[in-house]
This record gives sequence, structure tokens and C-alpha cells, in this order.
Amino acid sequence: MYDSLKGGGTTLRKIYGLLAIMVLCFILVPIIAYLLGGWYAYWGHGLLAIVFALLAVFIRTRYYWEED
Amino acid sequence: MAPPIPEVGPEMAGGVIAAIAAFLTISILLGFFMRKKAKNFEEWLVGRGDIGPLVTGFALVASYLSGWAIFGNAGLGYAYGWSGSWLIGTICVMGTAICLVIGYRMRRYVAFGARTVPEMLRVRFESRTVQALAGLAMIILLIVYSVGQYKAMATVWTITTNIPFYGSLLTTAILVLIYLIVGGYTGTQWVSCFQGILLTIIGWTLGIAVLFWAGGPAQIAGSIGNQTFTYLGGNQTEIPLGNYTLPLPPPKGLAFPGVDYIGVIAAMFMFLFMATGFPHNIARFLGTRKITKREYWMMLLIIIVGGSTPLWIGIAGFAARSVWEGALMASEYYPMYGDSAAVYVSISAGGIPLASLFAASVFAASVATIAGMVMIMATNITRDLIHNAYPKTSPKKLFWLTKLMLTLFIAIPLWWTFTSPPPILSEFMAGSAVAQAGIFFFVVGVSMYWKRATKWGAIATIIYGLILTILHPNAYGKVVGLHHWGCWALLLMFGAALIYFSVSLATKPVSEEKLEKLFSQTRRKIK
Repeated sequence: MYDSLKGGGTTLRKIYGLLAIMVLCFILVPIIAYLLGGWYAYWGHGLLAIVFALLAVFIRTRYYWEED
Repeated sequence: MAPPIPEVGPEMAGGVIAAIAAFLTISILLGFFMRKKAKNFEEWLVGRGDIGPLVTGFALVASYLSGWAIFGNAGLGYAYGWSGSWLIGTICVMGTAICLVIGYRMRRYVAFGARTVPEMLRVRFESRTVQALAGLAMIILLIVYSVGQYKAMATVWTITTNIPFYGSLLTTAILVLIYLIVGGYTGTQWVSCFQGILLTIIGWTLGIAVLFWAGGPAQIAGSIGNQTFTYLGGNQTEIPLGNYTLPLPPPKGLAFPGVDYIGVIAAMFMFLFMATGFPHNIARFLGTRKITKREYWMMLLIIIVGGSTPLWIGIAGFAARSVWEGALMASEYYPMYGDSAAVYVSISAGGIPLASLFAASVFAASVATIAGMVMIMATNITRDLIHNAYPKTSPKKLFWLTKLMLTLFIAIPLWWTFTSPPPILSEFMAGSAVAQAGIFFFVVGVSMYWKRATKWGAIATIIYGLILTILHPNAYGKVVGLHHWGCWALLLMFGAALIYFSVSLATKPVSEEKLEKLFSQTRRKIK
């Protein structure tokens, strides 16, 4: 059984919070391109992508881990 | 004084040929060795379900980094400046992380006989029609994708050996055929792993080296900021390259994804979906063993390091633009144009050693991708179409038919590249990527987690995706007034999503008992 299903509402709120940060990472990409441009935007996109990736794998391993 | 665009002598050709020969030899030997260890063809394809995180991670990197990422990105940076970043894929790690999160469940389907993505769909939907249709869609989309690989290889070969482009194209096709005949294609995870490591190391090395070669990041940014867009053929415009959008004049200019923020948003969603949507990517998990949480994080680290390689290749394009301005867009560089930037930069910045290693890495990416795709297309015909329709066909017949198909699927994209080479290969390949993202992200990726998905939802999505593919702004889209790449891509991806969910909800899913085996951990409802 997934860990997310054990904790009920509190756990779900945490997951939604993390998902919201992931969405923010995505939304910030065109915004920093428009506002900052140049290298700041180029590497900023890469950095936002890494934060997004870390959160995705954190949610997977912490709350939705699958055992065979 | 800025270094000139380098002239290439015979010693360069020798270095490049030696590096490519070394790469091919190692790949083929690895392929042979692993084939010897495998008891049968199926085991060779996906192993014995014992592939660890390191090999899976780098194999995923290798299958993701095609000629587009390891080579074409420099062309994007060179031709379009900062606005080329949207197709360079600065956020591609987001997509590969999603693939990592979603794709792990693929291994469940191996226990039920699936060895390929269409076979996984047959198991999921209990439908041979879905299997066949998915196989057909993959053939169409992968042919387009293969054209870009040919151009990448032929461009490298042309510049480094001074053999004319069309002769180089033929040479590379022969190399692909040899590579396939001797069995060293990407089916073996170990070969892919080796290639993934190679691509990562060389991509990072090239990117860092050219940063210094061009005078540093500030110098590059300053120079790009002062330049304007150059059309293929060398016509200079007044449109500045220093912004993240490039407002090219309509209607033709609208086919460029970075033309405005609608195109930008579409390109971002493409990168979010496509790593999972690429069948050759998600298939990497078919051979993965059960892994621990710590190993999962290790795979992510590999994906972050390997997945950042495209950014370094993009830098090679920016560096070339800052030093040589729009010179490579002149007609004397037909049909390579800006795509030749990475090769010239590697020669100028690192001499024979770096240029040879870079050439080998482009071959690693392109040969591996094209060989893998040709193999997928050939098995789509024999396994997903013929064997699907006529299950009694003998294995011997299927084997020979597969070999025949290999030649056919090498020839089709070759002919395409021969008659109509794409000017900027990554831009061309993005068309196929959008379709693969829109169709297979949902049909394959989401269907592994959403019980309510039905075969009719999958079938409708595939058909819709293929129809929209034909309506690409540079294909038949302009006939119906669909000139804008961003609108087209959003219409394809989100239209596919809408059709997938609505048709699925309106039709009957596979029975709960049958789905139980595939969804065993999602039964409990949240209270």
C-alpha cells in the first residue's frame, strides 16, 4: 500500500504542497526568460528543472513507493 | 582576433575515422558479449529483468540524447540565439524525471509477456488492435525522427573527411547497416549505457571548452545581443537574436517554436511529455530489476548529469555564433548550415582530439538511435502487425522478414534526407517529438496508472495524433490555415489528452479482475 494512503489528509496536503512547487518551477521558466534573459535564464531553467526533478522523485520514493 | 572557420586536412579525417571505428568496435563487442550471455532473443532484448540502476540510468540518457540533443542543439543556438533555447531543451530534466517516475512500472508488464511497448499496450488493454495501431504510429513517427539522425551523421562526416554531403550520407547509411547486421544495436542495455557515459563526458567537455574558446560567458552573451537573425542562404534581417523570442514574419516564421510565448509554452509541454512519450525511452525500464529507494535517487543523479548535456551542446552553438556571426548560414554551407556549428567549434576549440571524440559521440548518438529505431520499426511490422494478424507464421519466416524490413527502414529515411535534407535538424525532429509526446505520454504513460483508460480511448488518441501530425505547419497545416507551430503543438498534445480521457470515460474498460494483476497497489481509496 502506498505511504500516501496511510497518512490521510495531512499527507495529501504535503503532497499537494510539493506538487504546487513543481508547478511553480514550470511557470517560472518563461517568466525568467522574459524578465532576466541571457545566461541567467538559460541556467535558471536548468536549475528549475533539477528542483522539479528532485521533488518528483521525492514524492515517488516517499509517498508512492511500489514494492513488488 | 577571432579564429577563422577551420579548414580540415587528411589528419582530421584519420582521427575521426579512428574514433568512430573505436566506438563501433566497443559497441559491437559489448553487443556480442551480452548476446552470448543471453539464452534467447527476448532475453537479449530486455535481459533477465536484472538490469541495475546505473545501466538503466545511462541507457535512458543514451536513448534520450539523439542526434538532436548531442548535435542539433548547437545548430539551434547558432541559428536562433537565445530563442533557440526552447528547442535545446533547457528544461528537459523535468521530462526525463517524469519518465523515471512513470516508467518504472513498465517492468510489471514483462511478467505478462511484453517485450516491446506495443506488446505492453496489448497486455494493458487486452487488444491486438491497439498493439498494431501503436506499432503503425511508431513507424510513421520514427521515420521522421530517423531523418534527423542521418543529417547529423552525414554533416559530421562531410566536414571532417571532406567527402561531399551526399556521399557522406551514403557512407553513414552503410555504417548503420553494418552496425545492425553484426548485431550491435541499442537493444542491449549495456551498449546503451556505454554510449550514455560517452555522450555525457564528451558533451560536457565540449561545452566547457568552447566557453573558454569564445572568451567566456559574458563575451558570448554580449556578442549574441548585438547580432540579428540570418536566413538560410545568408540574408541578414533586423530581428535581434538577444531575446528569448524571435518574432519572425508570418506566415512562414510562425512555424518556428520560439516565435512567441505561445510557441514557447508548447515547446515546454513537449519537453515535459516527450521523454515518457518516446517509446524507445520508456522501453528502457522493461529490463530493470527491482531497485531500492537509494538506487532510484542514483538514477535521478545520472539523469540530471546526463540530461544536462544538451545545454552544453547548445552553448557550442552560442559560442560559434558569437565568434563567426552568421557566416555558416551562407549558401556555401548548404545543406548543413548552422547544424555544422558544433563540428567546426570542436575542431577550432580542441583540435583533432576533441573533434574526433565529438564526431564519435555524434555517431554514438545517431547510429544508436537510428539503429534502435530501425529495429523497432522492423519488429513493429513483423511482431506487431504480421505475427499479430497471423499468429501461426513460423519464427524463421518472421526472422527473415525482420532482416528484410531492416533494409527497407534504413532506406526510407535515407531517401528522405537525400531528396529533402532538413535545414535545421532539431526543428524538423521536434515535429515528430510533439506527436510522440501527445500520443504515447497518455496511451502508454498514463494508462499504466489510470485504470479507467480503455482501448477505445487509446485508439482514438493514436488516430487523432496521427491526423494532427500531418497538419504540421510545414506539412499540410498551411493548407487549412494552421501556420503557428505553438497552436499546432498545443492542439495536438491537449487535443490528444482530451480525446484520451473523454473517450475512455465514455467506453467500457477492461474488467476489474483482469486489471487487478497490473494495478495491485492502487486499490485502497483515500479516506
